[in-house]
Amino acid sequence: MNRGLLWKTALELRATTLLFGIALFLVEALLAFVVPQVTDQFSTQIFQLRFVQTIVRGMLGTELGPDAGPETFLTICWVHPVVLSLAWAHAMVCSTRFPAGEVERGTIDVLLSLPVSRGQALVAETLVWMGSTAGVIALGISGNLLGGLAAPPEHRIRLGAMAIVGLNLFAVNLTVGGLGWLVSAASQRRGKAITNLLIAVLGSFLLNYLAQFWSPAKSIVFLSVLNYYSPLLVLRRGAWPWSDLAVLAGVGTVLWTAALGVLARRDLSTT
Amino acid sequence: MTDSNAIEVDSLTKLYGKARGVESITLSVPEGSLFGFLGPNGAGKTTTLRLLLGFLRPTSGSARVLGLDAWHDSPRVKEDVGYVPGDLRLYPWLTAREALRISGAVRRRDLLARGLELCEAFGLDPTIPVRSMSRGTRQKVGLVLAMAPGPRLLVLDEPTSALDPLVQEHLRAELRRAAAEGRTVFFSSHTLGEVESLCDRVAILREGRLVAVDTLEALRRATGHEVVVRFADPGRPASLAPPEGLRIESVEGASVRATFHGKLPVLLEWLRHERIEDLSISRPDLETVFRRYYGAGRQAAGGAA
Repeated sequence: MNRGLLWKTALELRATTLLFGIALFLVEALLAFVVPQVTDQFSTQIFQLRFVQTIVRGMLGTELGPDAGPETFLTICWVHPVVLSLAWAHAMVCSTRFPAGEVERGTIDVLLSLPVSRGQALVAETLVWMGSTAGVIALGISGNLLGGLAAPPEHRIRLGAMAIVGLNLFAVNLTVGGLGWLVSAASQRRGKAITNLLIAVLGSFLLNYLAQFWSPAKSIVFLSVLNYYSPLLVLRRGAWPWSDLAVLAGVGTVLWTAALGVLARRDLSTT
Repeated sequence: MTDSNAIEVDSLTKLYGKARGVESITLSVPEGSLFGFLGPNGAGKTTTLRLLLGFLRPTSGSARVLGLDAWHDSPRVKEDVGYVPGDLRLYPWLTAREALRISGAVRRRDLLARGLELCEAFGLDPTIPVRSMSRGTRQKVGLVLAMAPGPRLLVLDEPTSALDPLVQEHLRAELRRAAAEGRTVFFSSHTLGEVESLCDRVAILREGRLVAVDTLEALRRATGHEVVVRFADPGRPASLAPPEGLRIESVEGASVRATFHGKLPVLLEWLRHERIEDLSISRPDLETVFRRYYGAGRQAAGGAA
């Protein structure tokens, strides 16, 4: 690990981290404030309607079961499309910085003229990005706690459960980031890398959504990264999603290692 | 690899798909030399430099820098190499001071003191961010970053292109000092006067191939003498029977411009029998040498096609 590279990357990512962190903080605070009020307006009868269940199931990405309680609605705070968009946009922005971003803005020659290997540069970028992701999610959790202060205690998410959900989201972002590093390692243009990554992430989102009510999609839903993101189960049972975390971390690591392999073999210079 | 060569390149080739980068380049750069790497735009100079730094993977052949393989040992090679890219682009938020701190942290050395000395020498304010700098000022940052660690080898890709003449002169002085201290300077340029005033050895690259590598003096010798004769009789050039080794390049009225390869007494003996008004015999400057290599190559290429 190279301290200088970590420093340089941290300097570059501080504004991005702050921007995404504040955005997630505000969105979570708003959701934690609004969702309990909406929950109160939902009568149990309405929730028994099949189409309502389908819509909520599609949104939460999992079976609801018969005992839908406040935590079912509170889960929306962590699966809302805006929340996922922010988390993934952060992963996409960060994971395509090196090498595609550096090549595109022409700074790769200066970076690689330092006595560091490409692997060291990737490790530094990855470590700082992981720290940045943890920071953004922590700000999101803080926002949720703040917004939830206005709600009665049974309509708040416990910090412990939320930390597990945060870790699950972090693992999801590891996989998205892993794919981002791989796409970036093979690209000359950051825009192209982001486009490819966006297609993959949107496809993953849609697949998970469709799988809730379209059986052909169910058979391949294991390919969706959201299949391994289950905040409802965490909030309802308080259990650790070990297998999901393992799959996400494993896939993320494989993708990152593949990125390292591509990076080590390709030509890298300003075009 | 001999101990005395900073760079040793053997049959180095880089192809970009069907496009040519450089082909079969073989050259050695002795340690402590000021080595000029000449060629017009697109000749392959930057590609060669990037191969030396391990940015590009050779298609075939090898490049050794300071005794290490340029591709496989690239991080170790760069511990002792300072590089200024031709089209230098830096992070917009960076200042020279911040850049020196980061570069020092990467190298685990304090570069600030020497870096600030160089900033002062180049007239560079170390607190201005790159986004507010002109191209020439950015170039100075690149030079400071490359020179501050005091590397054994400086690889400079057209480093003076955006610098004002005073800074250029200062840079030349710094590079001469570096060479005097035993450091090697590998200097790519298409500005012939600059290479002529600075370098003791040059390589000329044409369309991806090396066409000449030698000392300037040897290249001049190989190019022959430039001869300009003005005859008293304007009609004389048309009926000339030049001696062996004299090649007439152009005729303008009574004046003949020619190149002479051979012993000067032979030429003088021939001239003794002519009625001449003016005579000039000189070694060619680098521009003439370059034009000759470049022009000859183009003619050969044209003939082959």
